[in-house]
Amino acid sequence: MPGSAEDPTGHPAAQERGAEAIERTFRRESGRALATVAGVVGSLDVAEDAVQEAFVEAVRTWSQRGVPDNPGAWITTTARNRALDRLRREARRGPKEEEASRDAGRGPGARGHGDGDGDGDEAVGPVRDDQLRLIFTCCHPALTPAAQVALTLRLVCGLQTPEIARAFLQPEATVAQRLVRAKAKIRTARIPLRVPPDHLLPERVPYVLACIYLVFTEGYAASAGDALVRGELCDEAIRPARLTHQLMPDEPEVEALLALLLLQDGRRAARVDAAGDLVPLEDQDRSRWDRDRIAEGVEHVLAAARRSRGPRGRGPYLAQAAIATAHSTAPTWAATNWAAVVAAYDELSAMSPSPVVAVNRAVALAFRDGPVAGLEALDVVAADPRLARRHMVPATRADLLRRLGRRSEAADAYRHALTLVTTGPERRYLLRRLAEVTTG
Amino acid sequence: MHYLALLFGSETIEPGTPEFFAEMAAYEAFDRATGSAIVAGEALHASDTAVTIRPGGGEPLVTTGPYAEVAEVVGGFFVLDAATLDDAIELARLIPAASTGVVELWPVVGSWMGPLGPGQGSDRYMVLIVAGADEAVAPGTPDWEVGMAEHGAFGAAAGDAIIGGAAVHPPSTATSVRVRGDEVLVTDGPFAETAEVANGLYLLRAPSPEAAAALAARIPVTPKGAVELRPIVDFAALMA
Repeated sequence: MPGSAEDPTGHPAAQERGAEAIERTFRRESGRALATVAGVVGSLDVAEDAVQEAFVEAVRTWSQRGVPDNPGAWITTTARNRALDRLRREARRGPKEEEASRDAGRGPGARGHGDGDGDGDEAVGPVRDDQLRLIFTCCHPALTPAAQVALTLRLVCGLQTPEIARAFLQPEATVAQRLVRAKAKIRTARIPLRVPPDHLLPERVPYVLACIYLVFTEGYAASAGDALVRGELCDEAIRPARLTHQLMPDEPEVEALLALLLLQDGRRAARVDAAGDLVPLEDQDRSRWDRDRIAEGVEHVLAAARRSRGPRGRGPYLAQAAIATAHSTAPTWAATNWAAVVAAYDELSAMSPSPVVAVNRAVALAFRDGPVAGLEALDVVAADPRLARRHMVPATRADLLRRLGRRSEAADAYRHALTLVTTGPERRYLLRRLAEVTTG
Repeated sequence: MHYLALLFGSETIEPGTPEFFAEMAAYEAFDRATGSAIVAGEALHASDTAVTIRPGGGEPLVTTGPYAEVAEVVGGFFVLDAATLDDAIELARLIPAASTGVVELWPVVGSWMGPLGPGQGSDRYMVLIVAGADEAVAPGTPDWEVGMAEHGAFGAAAGDAIIGGAAVHPPSTATSVRVRGDEVLVTDGPFAETAEVANGLYLLRAPSPEAAAALAARIPVTPKGAVELRPIVDFAALMA
C-alpha cells in the first residue's frame, strides 16, 4: 500500500533535509520493510539487521544524491539485497544454527517437517500480508504482554528503543533487554512468522487486539510522562489497528477496536487542560474534539455491529466502542444516551465480568436513573477485594454524594480516595473537588 | 526441532487404580492423535518416591521429595518433534495434563538423545536437572561449554547406564500451556516462580534405587542447582 492514509508528507521529498527525511522514512517504512524482508529470508534477526544497514546506507547516499522518489521502496530493496547477501555468505561458510533458525519462521513453502498428525496443517492459505504476519509474531501469547507491546512498537511501528523507554517511563536498558529477550525467544523457541491458520485465529486475534489497545491506553492515559510522546503513542496504536483491519476486514472485533481507538482519540485534545490536569468527560470543551476522527470511528462501529450479527455475536471491543460512541457523539454530558451506555456495560459484564466495568456501569446508571441508583450499584461492587487498594470506588462515591448535595459525606469519600490515588493529575482533581465541597 | 514437555499436576492418582487406567487411556488417545510427533515420553511414580540431591560443601545433600515445595509436581514428560512453537503448543494442548495441570514446553538444545518411544523395565529412572533461575546459560557461552565438558565426563563415566537425555534452553525461552474448558492459556516462561527451573533431563538404568541415587549424585549441577531422581512407571509390568 504505497502512500497510506496516514502519510504525513505531501510535499516534494527533495526539499527535506536528508536526516529528517530519513527519520520520517524510518518511522513510516521500517516496519513494512522489515516485514517484507523477514518474509523473504524467514528470519527476523537477519531482516532487522538488514533494514538497519539499509538506513545507514540511506544516510550516506541520500545526503549526496538526494532522497529517491520512493524512499520506502529504496529501503526495502536495499535491505532485501543486504539480507540475501548475508545468507549467501553464511551458506558458503556452511550450514549451522543459522539455517536451523531460518527454517523456523517459514510459513507457506516451508519444508513440512514435523507434520506427523497428517491432517493437512501445513497447507497454509495464500500469504495475506507480510506486515500482518509480523504483527501476529510480535503479539504471540508465548511472549509477555510487556514484550509484545515493546516488540510491536519496535518492529511494526519502527520506534527506536529510547523512544519506547520514554513513552513507558522505563530505563532504556530495561526496554533494550526486554527486546533482546523477546527476540531470542522468537528465534530459539521458534515462534513462527506467520498468520495463524484459520482454526487458531479466534484465539490469536484477541492477543493482537489486546496488544494494540495496550499501546493506545499507555498513550491515552496521559497521567505521567511526556505528553507529546504519549500522543504519538496513540497514533502509533491507530496505525497497526488500521492495518490489521485492512488486512482482516471481515473480523468485526478488529474493526470495533479501530473504532474504539478513533472515538477515544477524537477526544484527546480536550482531555488534559493547559496545566496538564485531567479534564473529566463531563467538563470537556467538546468543540475541541476531532469531529473527523469521531465520524470515522462511528462508521467503523456501525460496520462492526452489522458484521457481528453472525453466530459468534458481539465481542468486548464492540461493547466498548458502543460506549465510546455514546460519549463521543453526545452534544453535551447531560444529553448522553445513558440507556445505551448502561446496556453496553451490561453486555460487557456478561462477556467478561470485572469490578472496574461494574463501577463504570454504576456511574452510567447514576445518570440514567439518578445518583441514588448509582450509589446502590456501587455498594454492590465496593466489597470486591480487587478494588480495595484503588481510589476508584471512593472517588466515584464522592462524586455521586457531591451531586446529591451530601457534602460532608462526599468530603470523607474524597479524603479516602486521596489516600489511595497514585498519579499527579488525578490527585489534583480530587483535591479540587474536596475543596469545592468543604468551602463556600 | 525437539521440545521437552514437562507435565505438572497435583498428583492424586496411584498407579494400578481404576483412575490410573482411565488416565492411561486418555494418554493412549493422545498418543494415537499425535503419532510420530512424540519422540519419547514416560510417566513417573508419585513424588513421594522422589530423591533430591544438591551439591553440598563436601558430600552431596540428599533429601526425599521433589526439588521444590509446590502444589504441582512433575508427573511425566514428553519429547515432541515440532517445526515451530505453534505446532508444539497444538500438541501440548492435547496432553491430558494440560487440562488438569500445566505443561511446560522447553526448546531442546540440539536434539533428544536416546531411545525413541517408550522403553521397558522397572529399573529406569528420570533425573530432572534444575538450576537457579539466574544460573541457566545459553548455548555458545563459555559457561555453557564448561557445563558441556562436565556432562561429557559424566557421560563417559556412566556409560550404558544413560539411556536418554536432553539439555534445554534458558527459562526465558520456555512456554507454559494450560487448557481450561474451551480456553487455551499460553504464557511466557515456566509456570511457577520457583527459585529453581528445569535445565535438562537424563534417563538412567540402574539395578537399585540406591545405585540410581549414587549415579545421579555424580551429575554435574550448578551451585544453586539440584537433581531430582524419579522412578519411571513400567507400563508393561502394570499390564501383566
